[in-house]
Parts: sequence; structure tokens; C-alpha cells
Amino acid sequence: MDTKALIAAKLAEWDLELTDAELDRLLVPYDNLLRWQRVVEDMRQSHQLVEGMSMPESEPMLIHALDKKGGTS
Amino acid sequence: MTAARELAYMSIEELAGNIQRKDVSPVEVTQAMLDRVEQLEPQLHAFNAVFRDEVMEAARAAEAEIQRGAYRGPLHGVPIGIKDIYECGPTTCGSQSLEHYVAEKDCTSVAKLKEAGALVLGKTATYEFAYGFPTKQSYYQPTHNPWNLAHDAGGSSSGTAASTAAGMAYAGMGSCTGGSIRWPAQCCGIVGLKATYGRVSRAGVYPLSWSLDHTGPLARTVTDAALMLQGCAGHDPLDPASANMPVPDFTQKLGQDITGMRIGLLRSIYEDNCDPKLLGPYNEAVKQFESLGAEIVDVPSITLSQLQAIEWPGLFAECAAIHVDNVRNCGEQYNPHAKLFVAYGLLVSGAQYLMGAQVRAQVRDDLLNALDTDADVLMLPTAGFQVNRIAEESPGLSIVSADFSVYTPIFNFTGLPALQVPCGFDTDGLPVGLQIAGKPFDEQTICQVGYAYEQATEWHKQHPAL
Repeated sequence: MDTKALIAAKLAEWDLELTDAELDRLLVPYDNLLRWQRVVEDMRQSHQLVEGMSMPESEPMLIHALDKKGGTS
Repeated sequence: MTAARELAYMSIEELAGNIQRKDVSPVEVTQAMLDRVEQLEPQLHAFNAVFRDEVMEAARAAEAEIQRGAYRGPLHGVPIGIKDIYECGPTTCGSQSLEHYVAEKDCTSVAKLKEAGALVLGKTATYEFAYGFPTKQSYYQPTHNPWNLAHDAGGSSSGTAASTAAGMAYAGMGSCTGGSIRWPAQCCGIVGLKATYGRVSRAGVYPLSWSLDHTGPLARTVTDAALMLQGCAGHDPLDPASANMPVPDFTQKLGQDITGMRIGLLRSIYEDNCDPKLLGPYNEAVKQFESLGAEIVDVPSITLSQLQAIEWPGLFAECAAIHVDNVRNCGEQYNPHAKLFVAYGLLVSGAQYLMGAQVRAQVRDDLLNALDTDADVLMLPTAGFQVNRIAEESPGLSIVSADFSVYTPIFNFTGLPALQVPCGFDTDGLPVGLQIAGKPFDEQTICQVGYAYEQATEWHKQHPAL
């Protein structure tokens, strides 16, 4: 399956249908997404495995962490 | 400078003194702003709605209060703009799909600002839902840059930035998911203050990406931005990410010496990709900080590519989660690229999203460690490229291209407070800016540093020729 067909299939899972021209405009950004995946994986591997085993943080955990570690005010 | 222009470009700090002493009345000030809006709006498209009758009524009420001695503080009687994604009267979010939506009540931050005495002039233009920038083909016309009308004003808080820079309002509120306060502030040559994640309520503000969204002010001086933040900051149980932290006096450190303060440059993000036209004024600013007695140090950090890899997949995945239903039902009413952004977000896998969240916590911890050991504040340019000319038609997903060198997202995904201040002009006469970031909930220190630079330079005293 080529990239364009792959994108169309993924979007079809969300009941979203784009025109051919719209799909064309997603090709380069989709490549970026895959490149960024490798960038993020490399960043994770630059830290010790044990750090990678911690729970992923997202809101509101991020803000709780800021409360704990943060500010001077 | 004419008297009308002088009044239009007065700082909030100075205006507040005049209002408190009853040298000028809120009615007079508001009428002057409305006159200026009427004069400049056809060129700038900075407002989606102007509340002429309502704001004059509020101005008269403010005047009566002040006359009887019930002065509320420095925002009392001061006309401001509110980005059109904040619930406050008609709220279109810059989208045809919400053209007729009218909020039933004011969102928390607007209610707070009104309580502090601020007068809402109207709703300022925004990129569609704070991300889909308008083109000449769009339903809502793009905001023009007051320094050069052929150029975009930056975004997504484009109307707030342009109206404040053009003296059509004394300040305004913006929102920021990847830089939408600081970047338009740079493009229009003013100050933008994105406070710490959780500092200002987002309740009643249309979300773009809930783990990255911030709300905050744009103003013409650091003091004015601090005063605006004072008016809207504080815990709000209606926003699940709101921080229950004390709200200090954000102007307290203004004027304090920065001698010996360590300013950490995040060179790895910008040094190999910033346009020299913008890097030149920024490097001059670095020298200015040295001459003020600050110590310049290098802080190892991520690259632009790493910044993009963390910010964009998370932002667009969350954006898609919010908008997918609307795009399916009324996608034809979105700007073409705004619809594409949502499709793009649907392509982000769960694993990509969560790995990004892990790495973003790593970067946050690294910066917090640096702020504990190596530097008192962090600094880098706001963006590495000049704002584009207003687009004729949809540019697609150019925002996620590798050379889209906006450096603001690092303080969205780490949640650190960041202040943009003007630091000159590029060779084409468009404003250039820098950002100063600090420890969580320490907006006082970044304002102190920004103020010291501002007072040592003249950039904040320059205004567009309109």
C-alpha cells in the first residue's frame, strides 16, 4: 500500500474522507510524523531505561509536578 | 505627537494614574479608542466584533464609580480587547461554523478582568480556532500587520497583537498553545506574557490542545503585561489544570537590578537556523544584557527538530480529538488547511502521542535542573523567521515543515512562564523579539529581567506610523 492509500485508509477509520488533492498535501507532513517518531525514540533512549519506565505524564500530572518542583513565588 | 495619538499610546500604568486622579475619564478614553478603531479597522481587520454601546455604558459606570471614590485599581476604566475564542458575547473563534454563537456568560478570566475594572472594547480576530490561519480566501479576513500592511500580524492572537500595537486598545488577552501570545507579540512589536501552565484559567476559552493551552495578556510594556496578568491570574476550579497557587504582585520586582543574574541561552535550538535578519538584533540584545551586569551562560538543550517532534504530534492529536466531529459535520466551513490539521492529528498514533508526553517531561526536568543550578532565567529568540506576507490561498500544512522556526513551543510543553519583549527591527522594518523564561510560577523574575532590558532600550516607545 502506498503512503497516500495508507493515509486514506487511516482517515477512513474515522469516517473522514478527503479529496485527492487534500491527501497529496498530507504526504510530506506524514513523512515528518514518521521522522519525528524516530527523533522522539532517540530522545527516550538517551535516558536510562529505568527513566523510560516511569508513567507518562500529562495534564494534570504535569501541573502537579510543577507545583512540587516549582516556583519561588 | 498629537494629543489623540499620545492618549492612544499611553501605557496602562500612566493612564491609570490619570484616571485615578480624574485627569482623564474612562468615557473620554473609551471614545478615543472607538474613534481609533473606526479609523484603522478597515486597514487592519483586528476585531471580529466591537461592543460600542456596551463598552460606553461600562465606561460611564466606571466613571461614576471613580467619581464617588470607588477606584478599583490600575485596570479600572481601561479599554482592552479579548481574543475571539474567549466566551464573552458573540464568540466566533474566527470560524464560519460559529458565526452566530453568543456566549451565555463571560469566561472566568474575562469576568476577573471586568471585576478589576477593565472595559471590553470587543472581540479581537484570531486564527480559526486558534490554529487555522486565514488567507485572502477566508470567511474572516486576515489581520494585517500594523508595521507593514502586506504582512500577517502573526497568530493566533493576531487581532489582540495588532490592535494593541496600533493603539486601538491598551492591551488584550490572547491564548497560546505553541506560541500564539509571544509570536504575534513579536510580529507586532509588543510584549506577550505566557504565564506558567495553570496560572490563568482557561475555563470558557475554546481549547486547541488541552495539555498545551495557556491564556494570557499582550500589552505594550512589561509593566502593562504584569498589570494585566494581575487582573486575570488565580485558581479556578472550572479549569482542571488550574494551579492552586498564591498570586503574588507581578510588578513587585520591576526596577530591581539584574546585576549578577545568570541568563542561560538555549543556543542549540536557534543558532543553526535563525534568519540572520532576526539573529542580529537578538545578539545585540544579548550584549545589552551583559552591559546591564547580567552573566550570559550557555544551557545545553534540545534542537529545533526535537522541539518540533515533541510539540506538533501532541498538539495536532489533541486538536483532532476536539475537532473531528465538527470537521465531519461541517468541514466545508473550516479553512481548507484547518481541516487538514485535524486530519493530520488523526494520523498520530497512541504510542507516538505517549512517547512525546514522556520526552516532554524529560525536557521539562532538564530545564528545571538548569534553572536550579546553571541559570536564573533562560533566553532565546521568539522566532527565527520573518512573518509571512498575507497568503493568497491555503498554504497547507506549512506549519509542520522543518524550517518553521518558531521557538516558543518549548515553554508550552514544559509549562514554564515566558515573556516576549521587542528587541529591534529586521532589515525590512518588521519587529524582532526575544523570550525570557523562568521557574514555574516565578513570573515576577522574568518580568524583572524583561523590564530591565525594556528600560535600557527604546523599542517599546516606537509605534507603527498608522
